[in-house]
Formats: sequence, C-alpha cells, structure tokens
Amino acid sequence: MRLYILKRLGIALLLLLAMTLMTFLLMRATPGNFFDALKMNPQISPETVARYEHLYGLDKPLLMQYGHWLANILRGEFGYSFYYNVPVTHILVGRLGNTFILSLTSFLLTWLVAIPLGVWAALRRNRLADRLLSFSSFAAFSTPGFFLAMLLLYAASQWGVLPLGGMRSPTYDDMTALGKILDVGAHLIIPTVVLSLASMASLQRLMRANLLSVLRKQYVIAARAKGLPEGQVIYRHALRNAFNPMVTLLGYEFSGLLSGAALVEIVCSWPGLGVLMLTAVRAKDVYVVMASMLMGGVLLLLGNLLADILLLWVDPRIRYGKHD
Amino acid sequence: MPAGAAQNRYGGQIALYGGQLVLPATSDPKTFNEIVASETSSSAVTNMLFEGLTTTDAFTLKVIPNLAASWQVSPDGLTWTFHLRPGVVWFDGKPFGADDVVFTFNDLIYNPDIPSSSRDVFTVDGKPFKVQKVDDLTVRFILPVKFAPFLRGMSQPILPKHKLEGPLKAGKFSFTWGIDAPPKDVVGTGSFYLDQYAPGERLVFRRNPHYWKRSDSGDVLPYLDKVVFLIIPDADGRLLKFLDGQLDYADLRGGDFPLLKPLETKRKFHIYDAGPAFGSNFIAFNQNARANPKTGKAFVDPVKSSWFTDVNFRRAVAHAIDRPKMIEILANGLGTPQYGPMSPSSGFFYNPHTPSYDYDLDKARQYLAVSGFKERDGRLYDSKGDPVEFNLYTNAGERTQIAAMVRADLEHLGMKVNLLTLEFNALVAKLMSSYDWDAIILGLTGGVEPHFGKNVWHSSGQLHLWDPKQDAPATAWEKRLDDIFNQGVQELDEDKRKVLYDEFQTIAAEQLPVVYTYLDDNLFAVRDRFGNLKPSAYGGALHNLEEIYVKQ
Repeated sequence: MRLYILKRLGIALLLLLAMTLMTFLLMRATPGNFFDALKMNPQISPETVARYEHLYGLDKPLLMQYGHWLANILRGEFGYSFYYNVPVTHILVGRLGNTFILSLTSFLLTWLVAIPLGVWAALRRNRLADRLLSFSSFAAFSTPGFFLAMLLLYAASQWGVLPLGGMRSPTYDDMTALGKILDVGAHLIIPTVVLSLASMASLQRLMRANLLSVLRKQYVIAARAKGLPEGQVIYRHALRNAFNPMVTLLGYEFSGLLSGAALVEIVCSWPGLGVLMLTAVRAKDVYVVMASMLMGGVLLLLGNLLADILLLWVDPRIRYGKHD
Repeated sequence: MPAGAAQNRYGGQIALYGGQLVLPATSDPKTFNEIVASETSSSAVTNMLFEGLTTTDAFTLKVIPNLAASWQVSPDGLTWTFHLRPGVVWFDGKPFGADDVVFTFNDLIYNPDIPSSSRDVFTVDGKPFKVQKVDDLTVRFILPVKFAPFLRGMSQPILPKHKLEGPLKAGKFSFTWGIDAPPKDVVGTGSFYLDQYAPGERLVFRRNPHYWKRSDSGDVLPYLDKVVFLIIPDADGRLLKFLDGQLDYADLRGGDFPLLKPLETKRKFHIYDAGPAFGSNFIAFNQNARANPKTGKAFVDPVKSSWFTDVNFRRAVAHAIDRPKMIEILANGLGTPQYGPMSPSSGFFYNPHTPSYDYDLDKARQYLAVSGFKERDGRLYDSKGDPVEFNLYTNAGERTQIAAMVRADLEHLGMKVNLLTLEFNALVAKLMSSYDWDAIILGLTGGVEPHFGKNVWHSSGQLHLWDPKQDAPATAWEKRLDDIFNQGVQELDEDKRKVLYDEFQTIAAEQLPVVYTYLDDNLFAVRDRFGNLKPSAYGGALHNLEEIYVKQ
C-alpha cells in the first residue's frame, strides 16, 4: 500500500509540472501582456512600458522565464504580482482562507443534505415524495448560480434580515468573539445556499440511482431471503456498496473547494479568490494565475489520492486486489 | 499670480463635525504607492492620502494653489518658483517642506530604476525639469523649454522623504507601500488617513487632525470623522446596497435612472446629473498604408485601405451613426452626441463650433456617391466594383452594445460589417504591434488639458491609432496637427493657446480619423443627509470631501 501511494505521488508531481507549463505557455501564447493597458494611456511613453517589461523579465525567452519561476517555487517563492507589486502569497493567503470557509460550508451542507436525501428518495422510489424531490432537483440544477444569488440578495433587501453580500458587518471589529462568528455566519447563508443547491441536486440524484441499482443486486435479494431485518439489509449491505462511487466523487469535489465559487463570490461580494483570479487572468498577471493553478492542481491531486485511499479503506475488494 | 480661491455657485454652510460617509469601490486597490500606481482603483485611494502643489478648481477648471500657497514665473516662462504652504505636516506629525518636493521629483519620478508613469508627463523633448530647493519652504523648477501644461502637471502628489528615503536606498522602493503594508505606515498630507484595509471588503479612512485647510468661516477641516470604501465588484450589488442605505453614494448608469428616480423621496437621496462625462467612445479605421517589414505585405488590404483613407467614406459613416437612438437605448436619454475630440465639460479649451454630423442617410449616401461608391441590391460597392465589407473589432463589455448599434447603422448604407469581440489585451496587440485590423470601436479617457492628448493626435504618437508612429506626417492635415501640438505646448498665453486648440478640434471633426459616438452623462446619487455637496462635471460629488458634513 505504501508503494502504491508513493507511485501515485510521483505521477501527481509530473502532472503538476505539466499543468503549470501548459498554463504558462497558454498565458503567454495569447497576444499581449500585462503592460498593454499602460500602452493605451496617452500619457505613458513606449520607453516606460519597455522599462517595465525589462524589470519584470518579460523580454527574456519564454522557457527561461518558466525555468526561473520553477526554480523559485522550489525555494518556496511564488513570485511577484505585476498588478500589486507584492509577493503573490501576500495577496492570496487571506483570500484563500475566505474562499475556503465558504467552500467548506457549502461542501458540508451539500453532502450532509444530499446523501440522506438520496437514500430517502431511493427508498420511496416513484412515490409522490420522490417525484417532487426529483422535480425540485432538476429545477435547482438548471438555475444559474449567479442568478439565484441575485434573486436571494434582492429578497434579502426587501426582507431586511440577512446581510446584502460581503463577509463582515462594518461594526465587526467591536463585536465579541461569539458575535463575530454569528456575523460571518449570517453573511455566509446566501452564498452557501446558492453554492450548495445545484451540487446538492445532482449529488442527491446520483446517490438515489446508486442505491437503487445496488438494491436490485442478487446479494440484497439473498439478504432479504435469509430474513435479515430491512434496516440491516439497507444500511449494512446495500448502502456501503452504493457509497463507493460517491467516494471517488468526493475526491474530485475536493479540488473544487478553491475554484468553484468565483461567480457567486462576485455577485455576493465575498472577498475570496474569485474576483482576484478573474482580474488576474484578464490582466495577464501571470504569476498570480500560476500560483492559483498550482494550488488548484495540488488540491485536485490530493483529492484524488484521498479518494483512492478512502476507497481502499471502504471497499475490501480493491484492497485485496492490490495485494495479490 | 493666477486664480485665487474657488468661486462657485454654491454658498458655504454652517457645518457640524462627526459622522461617516460610506462609498462604493468597484475593486481592491493594487498598491498604496502613488508613484507605482497605474490604474483607477489605486489612485482612488492615493488621491485621498496625497496632495500636489496645485490642484484644479472643480468649477472654473483653473489651476489653484494646494500645497503651494503661491508661485511666480520668470518672464521667459522657464523658471517657476513655488512658495510652499507653511505649517503643513504629514500624518505622523513631521513637517512638510521643500525637501519632500525635491525628493519626489529628483529621487522618485526621475529615477531610472523606478518604472513610473508620471515621468513622461514631466519630460519635455527628452529632458527633465531641474528641481531645486531654495529654502525649507521654497522650491524652484527650471524647465528646458516652455511647457504650457506645467502648472496643471504640478498637481503631481508629493510623497514624504523621511518615510521613503530608507526603502529607496535599500533598492526596495517599488515594493514599498504595497497592499500588504500596515495602513498607518502610508503617510500623506490629505484630509483623511488610511486606518484599516480588509482585502476584498473595505478601506477605512479617518479624519486627519493635522489637516491644513480651513473652511471659509475658519473651521478646521475635514468635518467627517470617517470615510469608508466598501469593495463591491458587482454593479447591481452596489445599487442594492445603496437603496438599502448601506452606501451613501452610487454611480449610476443611464439605465438605472428610471429605477431610482421614483425612490428619491422615500429612500432619502438625490440624483445629480453633472453633465457630459470625459471618456469617449469612437470608431476608427485603419489608415496605415505601410507594409509589414517581415512579410512585405501591406498591413491593410489595399482595397479596404482605399476606403478607409477616403474622408468622404468616413464622413458618410459619421452621418450614418444614429447617435440620438444610441443615447436613447444605451444611456436612457442621458447623454450627449459627440463630434469633436474634447468633452463639453472640458471648459475653456472646448470648441463648440466644430462641424457636426446629424443622423442623415441621404447626406451619407451623397458623400459615398462623390467617391464613386454605388448601392446595388442593398449592398455597397466601391468605384472598382468591390463590395464594401470589413471587420469591426471591440473589447468585451459595454462597448459591444455600441459596436452592435454602429454595425446595424452601417448596414443601412449597404456595408457588410463583421463584428468581432476580443479581450482587451488582444485588441491592444492589434493596435500597437500587429496592425492587422480594419475598424475598431474603442474609448479613451479625456481631460481638461488638450496637450495630454498629444500621443493620440501627433503623427509620431503610438496612440495615433489610425496610423501610429509615423516618421513624417502622411497627410497635410496631420502635418498641421503636429504643428499645432508642437506650438501649443510652448504657448503660455491662454487665449492664443485656445485659438490653436480650437483649430485642432475643427480639423479632427472635419477629417474624422476617429468618428465619435456619444458621451454618457456623469450621473450619481447621494444620500440627503450630507451638507456642502457641490457636484461638478469635473470633480463629481466628492471633490470637496473635506467640506462635506452630516446634517442634523
């Protein structure tokens, strides 16, 4: 098992390398660079722009720039942002935390609601409750997140209880510790609900389908035939097997923790990575984009690794297969 | 000495101290370092903190004293002596003086190791100004040649030597006062200092107790205790928060007007229309007749080039654009058609008598007929029988709507226009280096001082969009524009300058190297509880922030 994990880690590193190189080349293959915006300013001369480009090494060969970046990464330095003139890490760290909080709450809400809901729907297959649930799932699934966010914000402005976007109230600094938590919590409600709803809908459908297909399996019939109580049949035998594909999915969802919220963040003015990344890509602030790619990539690979390990743990068939 | 204190149409009021004003910001500042800052979200913050020797009166648009109390100029117009305002102190209590001014220019702006966009404004014919300290409160500037926009340029913010000399010597100036700096470390002389910055959330400014300015009745300014910027990237989000009362100010688009106007009394705010804005949107045609040195082929297809360089073709386009409809649809009727290169809000130098082009397809067809264009089965053909078809580029965003309407208008003349939307950087690459474009819809910011448009109008300028960086002017009218800009910058008599720049605006409107569309009105809403609001087209609602107070 240790060998297996090591092998996976090696492949993961290679993948990361390829990913960053691709991003770098793509960013640079498209026309223009960060300083183009300066060129459109009537009061700035071409010499000044050239001076900027030289200072930031944009006049060097592409691969040399990439090599330079890579060497710095190995030393733990993520480079400087063109836009902000400060180390990339200084810009990212605070926002990373904010996005993580939002993603984590919606991740938890999604899974904690969708899984039981899926099981519940599967056990009431084709009854009214199941029909209603699948109807609302499709409705939730097909509503664009940013639109839903706007609707909820508008409703909040009429209703006057929930805050209209942002992460903290202006009076945050004067609050007690508990007050601070409640304040952020209140601000979290709208974006969390919006972010969870769509993935909740699809996850619930998946869980339902998985369980239904397992319930048709021979061993379930056998378990029932030998007179096991229905609860044990479902929770002990069927559910564990129905859950396997969900574990793989969990790994993928892990990578979405940092990247999935951009639009909703913008609409709800949540101070996360979303706006920052969007501006960075559009303005070609290369090293900010590279750093976020790297983080997203690490999370994706970590998530997959985690899922594989989890699978080893929940599914004995895989475990024994590997040991042969 | 020119213009004294501001004379405006609003009287002073007896004001109260305290309270706060909450403003929206569309995005985070990128830096607090004034010299390195190059875009509006940063300068919105640095403009709060730093001041220049002079500033522009928001109503008369004349240059008035700021950190300098007065100045003299030598008869030859080359030596300017500034007498600094005594008693001005930095946020940290250290006195402001001549050393700071000399440091800002000689050590920062003219420093070859610091990339600064201000340097270009203060370099005339490739030569810098000489900046010398006479005594603690007197500074002398010696110019290499006469430079008419000099005084206006002296609004350049002054930075504190005692805070920045250290980082400069350590070679770290460009990275000093980044957004990771402790807010109170950013030391200026403005009416408010930066107290707190929460990235992606807000900026909090507090009253500078040492501020030098007094009201007409002798009150120590500013009146407000606190100014807060809430960072809200989404335009609709800003509007919601304004209606909800969490914001005290909102910039409005024409389309917001009918939504907000009925709520004015109930929600206690007022909408101001400060007149035409400064930013223009226009269509330009590629008149570059040169060939690509790498391939030997012309940048522009010679067939298309023959249309684009034909002034009748461009005049036909100018007549075919339905500006009133554009204003009605895109700005909800709150805009002004634009024909010449300067905004009516630029005041003194604006020439209202330039040729104008009303929406008239018959006149457009007449211009086309003069040059031998013919319409057949709803399609337009040139004198050689080639169908008129070209690509129209623009960047994603609000400009696509303008572009779509321009296209529809030009199709009425039988032109086939292919609309292509690109990312801004890709568009700039086309304009500045590859030159492979036919027509483009773009905007540029404008201002009060015509000389600051030199890079657009002088034939050697890289922003001379339609045919940039020419070695010698390609046409007689471009030659005349070159002469006007070369003379205008050396002419210190304002009235003589005005004659020159009036001619520039007339030539631009006659020759139409760029065909203007319309100017949006500068619209904003402010909550009623504030006093001393004196909105102007140039300064907006908040140019006199230090005088604004909360009514009881």
